[in-house]
Amino acid sequence: MVDIVPLSSYPSYIDLLPSIQTCNITNLPENYFLKYYLYHALTWPQLSFVAVVRPRTGYKTNSSGPGLAGDVSGQYPKVVGYVLAKMEEEPADGKPHGHITSLSVMRTHRRLGIAERLMRMSQRAMAESHRAHYVSLHVRMSNVAALRLYRDTLGFEVEKVEAGYYADGEDAYAMKLNLEKMWLDWKAIEKKDRENNKEEDKEGGNEDEGEEVGDLGKKDAEKMIRVKVGRGLGVGDLVEKNEAQAQ
Amino acid sequence: MPETLSSKDQSLFRQVVHHFEMKQYKKGIKTADQVLRKNPKHGDTQAMKALNMSQIGQMEEAFALAKKALQNDMKSHITWHVYGLLLRQEKNYEEAIKAYRFALRLEPESQPIQRDLALLQMQMRDYQGYIRSRSAMLQARPAFRQNWTALAIAHHLAGDLAEAEKVLTTYEDTLKGAVPHVADMENSEATLYKNSIIAETGDIERALEHLEAVGYRCTDVLAVMEMKADYLLRLGRKADAEAAYTALLERNPDNSIYYNGLILAKGIAETDHKALKTLYDEWVEKNPRCDAARRIPLDFLEGDEFKQAADAYLQRMLKKGVPSLFVNIKNLYVNPAKRDVVQGLVEGYLSGEAANGSAESNGDDKHNEFLSSTYYFLAQHYNYHLSRNLSKAMENVEKAIELSPKAVEYHMTKARIWKHYGNPEKAAEEMEKARLLDEKDRHINTKAAKYALRNNDNEKALDLMSKFTRNETVGGTLGDLHEMQCTWFLTEDAEAFLRQKKLGLALKRFHSVYNIFDTWQEDQFDFHGFSLRKGMIRAYVDMIRWEDRLREHPFYTRMAIGAVKAHLLLHDQPDLVHGPIPSGVNGLDSTDENQRKKALKKAKKEQQRLEKLEADKRAARKAAAANAKSADGETKTEDPDPMGNNLVQTQDPMKDVLKFLTPLLESSPQNVEAQCLGFEVHSRRNKHLLAVKCLAAAHSIDPSNPTLHLQLLRFRQSLDSLSEPLPEPVAEVVNAEFDKLLPKSQNLEEWNESYLSANKGSVSHVHAGLSGRQLLKPESKSQCEQDLLATLDSSDITIDEAIAGLDVLDKWGSEKTAYAEKASKKWPESSVFVLN
Repeated sequence: MVDIVPLSSYPSYIDLLPSIQTCNITNLPENYFLKYYLYHALTWPQLSFVAVVRPRTGYKTNSSGPGLAGDVSGQYPKVVGYVLAKMEEEPADGKPHGHITSLSVMRTHRRLGIAERLMRMSQRAMAESHRAHYVSLHVRMSNVAALRLYRDTLGFEVEKVEAGYYADGEDAYAMKLNLEKMWLDWKAIEKKDRENNKEEDKEGGNEDEGEEVGDLGKKDAEKMIRVKVGRGLGVGDLVEKNEAQAQ
Repeated sequence: MPETLSSKDQSLFRQVVHHFEMKQYKKGIKTADQVLRKNPKHGDTQAMKALNMSQIGQMEEAFALAKKALQNDMKSHITWHVYGLLLRQEKNYEEAIKAYRFALRLEPESQPIQRDLALLQMQMRDYQGYIRSRSAMLQARPAFRQNWTALAIAHHLAGDLAEAEKVLTTYEDTLKGAVPHVADMENSEATLYKNSIIAETGDIERALEHLEAVGYRCTDVLAVMEMKADYLLRLGRKADAEAAYTALLERNPDNSIYYNGLILAKGIAETDHKALKTLYDEWVEKNPRCDAARRIPLDFLEGDEFKQAADAYLQRMLKKGVPSLFVNIKNLYVNPAKRDVVQGLVEGYLSGEAANGSAESNGDDKHNEFLSSTYYFLAQHYNYHLSRNLSKAMENVEKAIELSPKAVEYHMTKARIWKHYGNPEKAAEEMEKARLLDEKDRHINTKAAKYALRNNDNEKALDLMSKFTRNETVGGTLGDLHEMQCTWFLTEDAEAFLRQKKLGLALKRFHSVYNIFDTWQEDQFDFHGFSLRKGMIRAYVDMIRWEDRLREHPFYTRMAIGAVKAHLLLHDQPDLVHGPIPSGVNGLDSTDENQRKKALKKAKKEQQRLEKLEADKRAARKAAAANAKSADGETKTEDPDPMGNNLVQTQDPMKDVLKFLTPLLESSPQNVEAQCLGFEVHSRRNKHLLAVKCLAAAHSIDPSNPTLHLQLLRFRQSLDSLSEPLPEPVAEVVNAEFDKLLPKSQNLEEWNESYLSANKGSVSHVHAGLSGRQLLKPESKSQCEQDLLATLDSSDITIDEAIAGLDVLDKWGSEKTAYAEKASKKWPESSVFVLN
C-alpha cells in the first residue's frame, strides 16, 4: 500500500530525493537535476510531499530518536508519486502565491487518490506556512485526467491558455485556486502572544506593559531577499532556464 | 619586495577587482594587463588577472599565473586568497583551506576570506575549524541573526547540543521580549530548530514543554503537529498522544505511520484484531475515499475475518476498475493462506459470472470493466513469484486484452509474463506493442526502453529514450540523460554492456553514475551560505546529514556492484579490452591459442567499426548544432572518450576498482554480495587481511551464503599453498580470524559434503557445494556435471537458478549443451538457454 508523507517530515525524509527524481524522469518529459530538487527542499521544505510504497515488513521504528510510530528515512522505499512545489519568487501581481513545479504518479498506481492527496497537503502548507493567496499550475490541454483532478476535484479555475508552453509545442492551461480560507488566524496568535507577555510580566514583576508586537518584524518578513546559488551558475539561473525550457 | 603601484595604477587595480565582481572577466583581464605592462611583477594584479581567467575556462593558465603571483608576493592576502579560490574551483578543498588560512593570517579582519574559509570547512566537515570561523564572524557582526544561527549549527553538528542551544537562547535574549511577528519565517524556523536540538538531547519532556510554549506561533503547522505527537508518544502521555495522532489523521488519513501512532497511544494490542478493525472502520467512515484505512486491516486480519474483508476490498476495487489493485495487495502473499484466499475469491468472481450467464448477455461497459479488471488481476497474480503459474497468467491476460485491446497496462503485464518465461526478446517486443498504444506517455516509453536493455539492445533503448529527451544537447540523447542525471538508464545500460562483455562502455556508464553521486555531494556547497540567508535551518541540517550517508542509497550500491564485477572480469580476462570475445560452447578457458588469436582479431575489427560509427554520429551532431549549448548556458565539449577506451585500457583494474569498492563497503557493510565482491578484489590484490575481513563480515550476515561457501574453500586452499609465506604479524591475524570461519583442522571434503546435504533443498546452495567438490576433487567433474543436470529435475527450481547453472558450467570449463537442451525442454517458451 501507499503512504503519503511530507518530504520534510519529523524525522526528515530528504533522502527520498534521488528516487523522486527517478519517478519524475520515468513519467514526465520535464526533468531537472538533483540540485533543483534540493533547492525546493531547502527553500520551501513544507510544500513538497511524496507517495511511497510501504515495505512489506513496515517501517523501522525508533525508541531513542524521533519516529516511534515509524520512520521512512534510510529505508529507500519505492517512490510512486510526488508533488514538488514552491512559492513564486517574484509574483507579477505582487501577491505571494504557490506554484506546482511538478506532480506525477506512476502509471501503475493510478486511481488510488494519490495525486489528490498530494495536492491537498501541499495547498494547505502553502496557505499556512507562506500565507499564499492562491496556487497556480500549468497543465497540458490534452491531459484530460489531470484537468479533471484540478478542476472538478480540487476546484481550480482556468486562468488563461498559454500557447506553446511545452517544449513539444503543446498549449497549456494556466490554472489557479484561491487558498486564503486556509490561512492561519494571525489575530488569534497575536492575542495569545499578548496574553503570554502579560503572564510573563506578572511573573517577573516587570512594569513594562509590553508594546504592540504585531508590527515588529513584519518588514523583515515581507522583504524579499534575492539570493543566488547554483552549480557554477545559480539556482536563480536554474529557474529561468527551467522556464525557458518549458517555452 | 613586492612592487608598489602608482596612484593611477592603483585605481586601475581597483577597476580589475570591480570588473571581476561585475562578472566582466574579459574587461578585468584587459585592465590587469594595463597594470602589468608597467609593473610586470605586481603579485596582486597577477592574482586578480588569474581569477578573471579562471572564470572564462582558462584554468591552466590561471593556475600558472596565480603561482607566479604568489612567488612575487608571498605576503599578500590577495595572492593567497586567489590561490585558494582556484584550488576550490578544482575541488582541491584541503589545499584551498590551507591557502585561505594563510590569507587570513595576513589579513585577520577580512570578512570575505573568513567566509570562504568557513564554507569550505563546512563542506569538509571540519567542525572545530567551522566553530572558530563562525565565532569570529559572530564577533565581527553580532547584529545579524544568521551569525548566531550559524554558530549554533556549528556546535550542533560538532555534537555539542548544549552549546548550540545556548547560542540560540542568547540571541533570543537580545530581543528582550520583543517577539518577532508571526510572519517572520526565519524566527519560526529558528524556534523549531532550537526545539529539535532540545529533543536531540533526549530530554523530551523539556522539548515538549518548549514546543507547547512556542509552537502555536510557528507557521510550519504540520511539523509542529508531527513533533508534538512523537514527543507525547515517547513520553507515554497516551491520552494527549491519541489526540495528536487523531489530529494528524484528520489532515492526512493516507499515512500508515499516523495510524501506528494512534494505535500505540490507545494501547491496542497487536493481537486485538477486533479493536483494530473497529478503529480503521471509523476512519473509513470519515474518509470513504481513503484507501489506507480499508487496506491496512488486510495485513492483520486472519481466517474468516480476513476473507470477508478481502472480499469487500477486492470487489470494490475491481468494480471501480482500479489498475493498481494487485500491486496494492501483493504484499499479503508472504502469508500463503491469504494468497490462496485471494486467489479463490477472485477466481470465484469469474465462475460466478459464468453461472449467471455469459458475459455478452449483460455486456454493458461497467460490467466489461469489472470483467477485464478481474482477468487483469489474475494475470498479475499468476505472474507474481509467490503465486506463479505463467500459462494461467498468459490465459488471463489474453482475455483481458480481448475485452480492452487498447489497455496499455494489460500489454505491459503480457511483456512481464514473457520476461518471467525467460524470453527477454519476446518481452521487449510486447512492451514495444504497449508503447505504441500510447506514444505520448513517458512511463510506458521508459518501460519499453528498460525492456530493450534487458534484451541487450542498447541502441534501440537509446533510440526510445530519445523520444523524450532534448536531443540538441551536447552529446545528443545520451548527453541529455547525463545532464538530467538519469541514473536508472545509465545503470541499466551499463549492466547490459557488462552482460555482453563490452567492458569499455560498461565502465563508461558506471563511471557516469559514480560521477553523478560526486555531483550530488558537491551540490551541497552553495547551500552552506544560501540556507543561512533563507533561514530554513532544519531542512539544511537534514540535508547535511543526508549528504554524509549519500552513498548508502541503493542506486549507488547497485552501480558499484556492477562496476566491481566489470573490473574483476577485466582482470581475469584481459583480452576483453578489445571487446567481447565469443566464448563458445566450451567456455573461454578451453579455446586454443589459434582460436584465441582469431577471436581477438575479430573483436578488434568490430571495435574499430563501432568507433568509426560513433565518430560519424558525432560529426553529424556537430554539423546539426554548430553552437550547441547545454542547459546551464556553458558551452560544453563532446566527451573525448565516448567508448570508454581509456577506462578499459587500464594497467591495473584491481587498483581502479577501489574507487567503487571502498565507498560501497563503507556505506553498505550489511550487503553480503558487496562483502563477497570485496573478497574477490582483495584476494586478487593479495591483501589477505582485507580479504579475510570481508569473509568475516559476509559470514556474520549469512553464514551459509553460497558464494561465501565457495570463497571459504578457495581461501583455505590458497592459504595452504602460498608461494611465499605471509609476513609473521599478518599471518597470525589472518590465520586466527580465518580459523573462526573455517578451522584449519577441518577436513574440507567432509565439510563441503555436509554443506551439500544440509542445503539440498536450495539450488543455489547446491551449485556452490558442487563447485566446491569440483575444486577439491577435480576428478569428480563428470559426476558434478551429472549432479548439476539433476538440479533441473527439482520441482521448485526457478528459471533464474537454472540460468545460474549455465554460469557454473562456464566456470568449470564444461560442456553446456546437455544442460541447455534439458533446460530448454523444461522452459519451452524461454530463449535464454539457446546457446550461440
